[in-house]
Amino acid sequence: MAQFNIRQYNEMLDSNSIKVIYSGPIWSSGIDGIAEMLLKRLEFDDISLNASQAVFSIFVEQMNNIMMYSADKERKTSSEGDSLEVSKGIFILGIKDAKYFIQCGNVVTEYSAQILKTRIDHLNTLDKKGLRQYYKQQLHAENDNPESKGAGIGLIEIARRASAPIEYKLEPYSEGLHYFTMYITVQQGGNE
Amino acid sequence: MAFRIEKQKTTSTPYVLIDEEKSYMKLEGRCFHEKVAEFFKDVNDWLDSYLASNFSLFTFDCKIDYFNSSTTKLLLNMLLKMDKHASADKKIIVNWITTQNNSIIIECGEDFKEDMNNLEFNLVIKYDVNHFLR
Repeated sequence: MAQFNIRQYNEMLDSNSIKVIYSGPIWSSGIDGIAEMLLKRLEFDDISLNASQAVFSIFVEQMNNIMMYSADKERKTSSEGDSLEVSKGIFILGIKDAKYFIQCGNVVTEYSAQILKTRIDHLNTLDKKGLRQYYKQQLHAENDNPESKGAGIGLIEIARRASAPIEYKLEPYSEGLHYFTMYITVQQGGNE
Repeated sequence: MAFRIEKQKTTSTPYVLIDEEKSYMKLEGRCFHEKVAEFFKDVNDWLDSYLASNFSLFTFDCKIDYFNSSTTKLLLNMLLKMDKHASADKKIIVNWITTQNNSIIIECGEDFKEDMNNLEFNLVIKYDVNHFLR
């Protein structure tokens, strides 16, 4: 079997201005490791607080989204008896034309695909002021419903921090499953 | 003995201090822990019993540079609980502390302030360096 061409892969990332890529397990126990790496990158880039926070916030909510919606999961129980869950996903951060682009992808069920589509389509009709109001309203709605896992507000948070509407794609993957990708941009100078 | 909790900050959790003797609680740093409700369980349990007790003044300094959406939900819940118990006899002061360039936290503070009816909510904006990345 031919070896995977890592150099070609690296050149492909470079030619697409991709600075950070993470593909693999996303642990329900925490994302501190990946988060540390991203914070270092943002510190190095030395951009406005607004922009670095926006990028970081989108990353955190995307990770959360992957954990919540990924249909590609493994579960196990640790020796201490805690239940661990690993979701598979991919995350990319790149810079092009003074803009960050943040992309993520994961496999979702038909059911999740419909929820994501309905929610994102609605968010894309709102402006920043509308999103702020909607966030507040949903936050209170979820506060009255302790069972909710908070998926709705995570997506609103992403929309609030993005410099343009959320672009997404749902492609057929295999029986009953879709591959979901999200593409978000953030101006390096910040939104305001 | 008066209750006390002190937890040092980590990448995804803030510094936490509860000093019951001084009727004081403080959060400082970032918060985006996956299991934020679990992380704050002891804080919430203490808060429930403390708010129901007889105190005259309680101060909460909240100086978080970044928090994710699940933490926002938890913080709002905590503040609404405090607001419900605050009265002329049980004064509660919340200082929402941030830096002038942290518009995300400022906006969130403004939105939370609107929801408070009984407690004193101060938006404290400092003109110094933000440590969100560190």
